[in-house]
Amino acid sequence: MAKALISLLATITLVYILNRPLGPAPALGPFLSPFTGIWQNGEKPVDPESEEVLKLDSLKKDVVIRYDDTGVPHIFAENDFDLYYAQGYVTAKDRLWQMDLQTRAASGRLSEILGKATLEIDLQSRRLGMGYGAEANLKLAMSDPRSREALLGYTAGVNAYIRQLSSRDYPVEFKLLGYKPERWEPINTMYMLEQMTLNLAGRSNEVNMSNVLEKYGKEITDQLFPDYPMLQESPVIPAGTKWDFKKLLIPAATSASRFSDSLSDYKKPENSLPEREPEIEGIGSNNWAIGAEKSITGYPVLANDPHLDLSLPSIWYQVQLHAPETNVYGVSLPGIPAVIIGFNKDIAWGVTNVDADVFDLYKIRFKDDTRNFYWYENQWKPTRKREELIYVKGEKEPVREEIVYTHHGPVTDSDNTSGKFPTLAVKWIGHEPGNTFLTFYELNKSRNYDDYRKAMTYFVGPAQNFVFADNSKNIAITVSGKLPLKYKDQGKFVLDGSKAADDWQGWIPAGQNPFVKNPQRGFVSSANQSSTDPSYPYYINWVFSPSERAIRINERLSAMSKANADSLRKLQNDNYNVTARTILPELLHILNTAALTPSQKASLITLANWDYQNDPESIAASIFEEWMPALRSAIWNDEFSAAGKPLELPSRDRTMYLVLKQPGEKWFDNVNTPEKETLPDIAFSSFKAALDTLNNRHGAMSPSWQWSKVKATEIRHLSRSLKPFNAPPLTTGGGSSVVNATTKRHGPSWRMVVELGPEPKAYGIYPGGQSGNPGSPYYMNMLKKWENGELNELVFLSSPDRSDSRLTKCLTLHKK
Amino acid sequence: MNFIIIVIISAVMQLFMPWWIVAVVPFAVYFWRPGNSPFLASFAAIAFVWLAYGFYLHLISDGAMSNRIAEILSLSNGYILLLVTALIGGLVGGLSGLSGFLIKGLLPGRLPHASSRN
Repeated sequence: MAKALISLLATITLVYILNRPLGPAPALGPFLSPFTGIWQNGEKPVDPESEEVLKLDSLKKDVVIRYDDTGVPHIFAENDFDLYYAQGYVTAKDRLWQMDLQTRAASGRLSEILGKATLEIDLQSRRLGMGYGAEANLKLAMSDPRSREALLGYTAGVNAYIRQLSSRDYPVEFKLLGYKPERWEPINTMYMLEQMTLNLAGRSNEVNMSNVLEKYGKEITDQLFPDYPMLQESPVIPAGTKWDFKKLLIPAATSASRFSDSLSDYKKPENSLPEREPEIEGIGSNNWAIGAEKSITGYPVLANDPHLDLSLPSIWYQVQLHAPETNVYGVSLPGIPAVIIGFNKDIAWGVTNVDADVFDLYKIRFKDDTRNFYWYENQWKPTRKREELIYVKGEKEPVREEIVYTHHGPVTDSDNTSGKFPTLAVKWIGHEPGNTFLTFYELNKSRNYDDYRKAMTYFVGPAQNFVFADNSKNIAITVSGKLPLKYKDQGKFVLDGSKAADDWQGWIPAGQNPFVKNPQRGFVSSANQSSTDPSYPYYINWVFSPSERAIRINERLSAMSKANADSLRKLQNDNYNVTARTILPELLHILNTAALTPSQKASLITLANWDYQNDPESIAASIFEEWMPALRSAIWNDEFSAAGKPLELPSRDRTMYLVLKQPGEKWFDNVNTPEKETLPDIAFSSFKAALDTLNNRHGAMSPSWQWSKVKATEIRHLSRSLKPFNAPPLTTGGGSSVVNATTKRHGPSWRMVVELGPEPKAYGIYPGGQSGNPGSPYYMNMLKKWENGELNELVFLSSPDRSDSRLTKCLTLHKK
Repeated sequence: MNFIIIVIISAVMQLFMPWWIVAVVPFAVYFWRPGNSPFLASFAAIAFVWLAYGFYLHLISDGAMSNRIAEILSLSNGYILLLVTALIGGLVGGLSGLSGFLIKGLLPGRLPHASSRN
């Protein structure tokens, strides 16, 4: 009797324990069972002959999907709804967990699955008003029949895929974290667009700039933080381009306000946004197109490589979309219908980020701690409040936070001088209702230059340089996006939230955004640098990404003739370091070599013999890339650091100008020492410091100092914590100021080259694979080629029954 | 004989039932027809099914997933993970079969014959 009961109890207990999650670990029973668990997530190679037919709800007609040997789906549908339905379906099939995670990150819902650890990240999304922006955008998107059809189709397709999953089919990350995929909603697409706006246009440095202004005054601030690079620049729109439009009246400038509070205790209120990391150089991109006269084909050739966070699965998903009015190939963002960067039979396009200042901070004065009113134009104006609820795994009650909105935006940022509550309102393009999706929808179907220009007018943000080429031999580039009409330097410093004159005063008309068509020089290009030279009548921003990549690209393209796709591929992989060419000869000239030890001298000789190529095996590149930041810190850190009051550092261009043209300036002196240091002193000490750093991290100078090893590019799984899902160590050259902008964790997330012509010929690759499943042969099948700088020829089909030796599986979605 | 019955029935039922069906099948089989070594036979049957199917899935995918999960769990490779998997499945099966056998024995008039059958 006892034995039987003990045995039964033991069985039940064991099953109970195995069926429950153990802390962060998943429930072991379902996780390990080969019938339901992770064993189900290993995939065998695809049978190239296989044909599959699925019966699905709500399709209007049948859809045929041909896969090619790299895992790219080619979708053939008979109408838009079915086209985006199928795109949603195949994207979810390959990337469901990525879609779930990225939507949660954007909407501040990570804590529902990850618990308290991610609460701060969620709060940040809520405080920025991601939901506020997404809801406003959804309303507009659903009111236009084109975007509505696409969103509803895509949503139905994703849900059709989710619905037919049983728990054994869930992507492995769901099994590891012990949760289920939830229904897809159209607003998720808006959240994905918000997330892109946040990544590319979601930062500001005006608090740091206001601190500089307060410490050094206007004159020095103007000298050290000029509105256009002082040493060198090669703007997106070629200098000298005429602006033949009637410009709007520029709003009158107000005097920069000072908000310094003598009683301030420099403490951040608890419920404010955290300190933003400075802009990472390496998030940016290159694109260009050469005209027919420069190509061997007699037609334009276009190239694009957007630089983003490199991850597995990749941020991009390749797809071909074919319907009666569409036949487009390119990369999409999982969660967003249509192709974002790509080509069709007639045109090709690509994007790079514009560093437009579309994120401003306004100092707000509340009437009292209820924050029901704020001071605006000499009266108390009521605020609006929005309650954010964050559900946290393992806790019954959601975390509640009340976000106060003014007409500027949510009051959630802080300049560290306030008391209990944040006092800086965020005015951000991410809150501006728009239907950015239409730009991509229309580009997908564009036939010519006019279609392209029309598509540009829908774009809100994050502002992008849209490069364009067509088979009528046009090339063009447009600085696209809604750009606020501002007075000069409006938003360079914190703005006064009580003055209407400091508000954004409308928009630059889309037709007056900088653009150029078929310029004299025979090519168009961009690399995140200044949009225009100072002759452009409107203010876009005072600082853009550094100019070196653009300078190199424009030099190479100017010299190019009889170019083909491979010439442009080589330029995408160009490792030439313009920064080094600019400053290294002078630095080596002033360096006091007599005081160096023999091993330091050996390093110096290596550096002096360098060809300025950031090649993977270069040791000189490692020394230079270590030395430059050390030199910049040595020049500025003594004057530009203060506890609790972060200060902006002068740019790289300004630093190089100082070294080359103003070697006698006081900034070289370290104010923290009694001695008076000069440029040669600082060059010497920072050179030695750089060598010491390399020595400490990599031992004495040897092949272990090779640039690829020092830089150590890595591609992590999106979880950032499941190391076995990461890519193996990579051997890559490049660098942040180099055309091949591969850094430790950022780089060319998609490289594409398209030869326009009667039939387009296109090449492309991204570092990863189409499948997000680490157990799939398509998880990182493209990685090696990407690492080698090679491209895949892209399979562009005109009909579903075309035979192509690279086609494999066929999937038919059959209307139920 | 019970070994084979458990292997077949549990394999089929696991195709559409949750994983814990492996705690029901051996119980039912040994309740239905008590036999020798209920623990060992049940353990072996479930462990065998999990081992064989897991091994097949490991093999066709070249261990792409199992080797990585093993690493996450600090095991050296997918084969060790496979052994752990089989051990856990076996333990559930074994205890379940034993319970079925012993509970059946509690029923009036059954105990003396139970161990002599089959």
